[in-house]
Amino acid sequence: MEKREKRVDGFRFIPPALRAWIRTSIPEEDFKGYIPWTPTTKPLSQMTIALVTSAGISLKSDLPFDTEREKKEPFWGDRSYRIIPRATTEKDIHVNHLHINTTYIQQDINVMLPLARMAEFEQEGIIGHLAPKAYSFYGFQYQSTYFLKEAIEPISIQMNLEKADAVLLTPA
Amino acid sequence: MEEAGFSTVVLTPTHEFHRVVGIPRSAAIEYPYGRPVGQVGDQEGQRQVLLEALSLLEKARKPGEVYHLPFTWPEEPKKTNWQPSEISPIVKLQLDDIKKARQPGNEKA
Repeated sequence: MEKREKRVDGFRFIPPALRAWIRTSIPEEDFKGYIPWTPTTKPLSQMTIALVTSAGISLKSDLPFDTEREKKEPFWGDRSYRIIPRATTEKDIHVNHLHINTTYIQQDINVMLPLARMAEFEQEGIIGHLAPKAYSFYGFQYQSTYFLKEAIEPISIQMNLEKADAVLLTPA
Repeated sequence: MEEAGFSTVVLTPTHEFHRVVGIPRSAAIEYPYGRPVGQVGDQEGQRQVLLEALSLLEKARKPGEVYHLPFTWPEEPKKTNWQPSEISPIVKLQLDDIKKARQPGNEKA
């Protein structure tokens, strides 16, 4: 019997009206522009992997992401970032995001930021190391130039200091 | 981050967005927003998703590739309750446009 490979429908969970609206902004063809590329130079079992998420996760001991300003300015998203140490669990965090139900992350951080799973992979030798810090930012960004400067650049500098080889990104 | 010298892979529920901006490596997963790695407490399920996503770091050969992960979410979309309890500010602002997009003749296939 022929094996049919799955073709992911990225709109499956989006209600029809919202789906139709979002689709007006999505071209039919694949992206044809420049895509940066850093090839891997070692096997996964030797890589240091950092986790980054756009789900608005912050430590309880840290400032939460600002969603109140977004309620007043619907095109604005908090451009800051937070450091999430690798041993962080759902008991240690707040999750602030106006575009998803954050309940599940607050029940189990690993559904979005899989720190415990990656620590297990490190123990088992599947990956070389989990980086000491993960990073969280707020994914709703219209002014991407400022955001790159204020969040992505400092995150990249820190990951470089920790000698990360690769990054797994999990968007909200 | 890829330009900064890291090899990146995105575990994404909506890979179609990547037609707007190029992404080096995409692991497309048909899971609801807010839980791309899996269900609450499902350690084995989360592991399987992660192993597939991480495998792209070794097997992707050129930028822009999208790998469709083979997993199926066990609930019907309406039961997943992924949306925020209050409508997001941008969606609230654009409600008229959203309704127009849904009208027959305006909707893309």
